[in-house]
Amino acid sequence: MNNVRAFWATAKRELLIRCRYPDWFVAMLLWPILMPTFTVFATQALAGPDNSGGEVFAELAGTSDYIGFVFIGIVMWSWLNTVLWQVGATLRTEQRRGTLESNWVTPASRLAIMFGSGLTNMISSLITVAVSLIFCKLMWHIDLTFSPLLGLVFLLSTAAIYGLGLIFASLVLLVRELNSAVNFVRGMFMVFCGITYPISVMPHWMQTVAKGLPLTYSIRLIREIGLAGAGYRDVSDAFWILFAFAVSLLAGGYMLFILMDRIAARKGILGQY
Amino acid sequence: MSTVNSIEVENLRRVFTRRTPRKLPWQRNRQVNGNELCVTGSDKSGNQPKTTVAVDGISFEIQSGEIFGLLGPNGAGKTTTIKMLCTLLEPTSGTARVGGYDIVREPAKVRGSMGTVFSGERSLYWKLTGRENLEYFAALYDVEPSTTASKIDSLLSKMDLESKSNEPVERYSTGMRQRLAVARALLADPPVVLLDEPTAGLDPQSARNLRDTVRSLRDEGHTILLTTHYMAEADELCNRIAIIDHGRIIALDTPAALKAGLQEMHSLEVEVDRAPDGVLDELRSLPLVRGVESHASNNGLETWTIRVLTEDSRQTLDALLDLLRASGDRVLNMKANEPTLEDVFIALTGKSLRD
Ligand SMILES: Nc1ncnc2c1ncn2[C@@H]1O[C@H](COP(=O)(O)OP(=O)(O)OP(=O)(O)O)[C@@H](O)[C@H]1O
Ligand SMILES: [Mg+2]
Repeated sequence: MNNVRAFWATAKRELLIRCRYPDWFVAMLLWPILMPTFTVFATQALAGPDNSGGEVFAELAGTSDYIGFVFIGIVMWSWLNTVLWQVGATLRTEQRRGTLESNWVTPASRLAIMFGSGLTNMISSLITVAVSLIFCKLMWHIDLTFSPLLGLVFLLSTAAIYGLGLIFASLVLLVRELNSAVNFVRGMFMVFCGITYPISVMPHWMQTVAKGLPLTYSIRLIREIGLAGAGYRDVSDAFWILFAFAVSLLAGGYMLFILMDRIAARKGILGQY
Repeated sequence: MSTVNSIEVENLRRVFTRRTPRKLPWQRNRQVNGNELCVTGSDKSGNQPKTTVAVDGISFEIQSGEIFGLLGPNGAGKTTTIKMLCTLLEPTSGTARVGGYDIVREPAKVRGSMGTVFSGERSLYWKLTGRENLEYFAALYDVEPSTTASKIDSLLSKMDLESKSNEPVERYSTGMRQRLAVARALLADPPVVLLDEPTAGLDPQSARNLRDTVRSLRDEGHTILLTTHYMAEADELCNRIAIIDHGRIIALDTPAALKAGLQEMHSLEVEVDRAPDGVLDELRSLPLVRGVESHASNNGLETWTIRVLTEDSRQTLDALLDLLRASGDRVLNMKANEPTLEDVFIALTGKSLRD
């Protein structure tokens, strides 16, 4: 099938181009180790030498493993960050390279091309997550239990974030500027989704905002399933909310992409930098 | 080849709307003040949309197996036309069919039946090798997988790129990139090939080679639409030429017929010792003169060449020399030429393609 072929070809193309910028590889391995570590030490300091702060924390967060708690939050957030940047910038990158039009004049499905280069971004950010987790296990002895449910939650989160990336990518086609939008969204997620603290410590209105963000549910589910050993029955509510986010964001992203592509052809801005 | 039309363009029109770039507040103020000084009473918002009519209702038909040229100066609307035909840009109005498919209603089929070579060299992946580029685009054009490898090999050898096929495109010369872009356009063996300024930026030898390639493509049965602003190129290469200016087709015929229309005309070239800007309008108003243009002579000496197209050089010459001398220009050299396509353009627009 043409679409599948175009998808794999684009993924391979992006992988080849990446491999020719080796500095990216270093960043991919180093960043996930450095990033969470500094917060972990801050958390340890707050807990105090006798870990009295840790007990209070356990009460609020539902787990005494605050390093694991913080770690999962940060890993998920930086993962979201990379995916948003990279998927959001897919079309922009092609515009800058000057290759968008040569792709667009082929009969291949434009969405297949989008998803293809998204796959490579996805894989690279998954490697980042994996490195973080391995490091976290070795260095901080966090007891993370892997289960099919955890995998499923991760997959749903991926779909939701990918949908968001698609929305960004489509908007970028029109406004040709990504930074402020991504910065806004990641700032929102950083403050509201409970990355290093349980959302119950926030004022009420902020908790309401948090409930409207998919990452809140991703982080909560992964913490509950991976750290506290919860099963499907304990988390089914959050699970289905995340599911709904994933479906609607993907569908929204898809429709917006088709729409923006049409508008871009009408306005004549495909080839502009 | 039958005489079916491969491309049919009907009253195609494209208007661009764009806002003038935003200004800083104090700049805007200054502009408003300027407007007030003009007392024209125009409105004060410095940010109103401007419209450009890039293509203004063009119609033509290209028969299968012919090389058709769009010849025009910068900004004439050539690229805009190409972009509409390859479905990157929607027409504001009008229709076009490529290989029988409507460019608005059946864009996917149009894309499948043509290859496009864009002007400029950024349309390839510079970090990939020539072969990797072709492999990638072969997948997008859905070239039969079992024959992809041999297809790529034959295109690489045809475009004389075999020795560099495994080097990244960033190490290619401009000419090599252009040949690779042509190879890419041919991957799916499309009936129609569009080339936007294929020889721009190439040295004379490479340009000649590329023109040979274009001719061989025609001989293999491809229908070719190319744009250029070199008259000699259009003259040499094209079966038919549409001369386009300000988005309109002002003449359309074979190169020979276009020139034959000027058979009774004479083209006078006068070399003078300085830029003759002042007298050009006076020259244009002489009786029988159909067009005047001037350019630096390009001979290493700082002289200028005025080109005058007249219906009868015998009657124009004397008045012309009088005018030049009266304005203080020194006439250094003079000759009469056979009309060329450039003269056709001058006759039609009163100005040069170079402007
Ligand atoms: N995307 C765009 N937005 C606004 N105006 C545009 C756009 N593209 C082209 N134009 C305008 O349309 C007109 C025609 O441009 P076009 O690129 O088609 O000319 P061209 O014949 O290809 O010229 P050249 O020889 O310089 O390539 C120009 O006035 C140009 O400024
Ligand atoms: Mg052009």
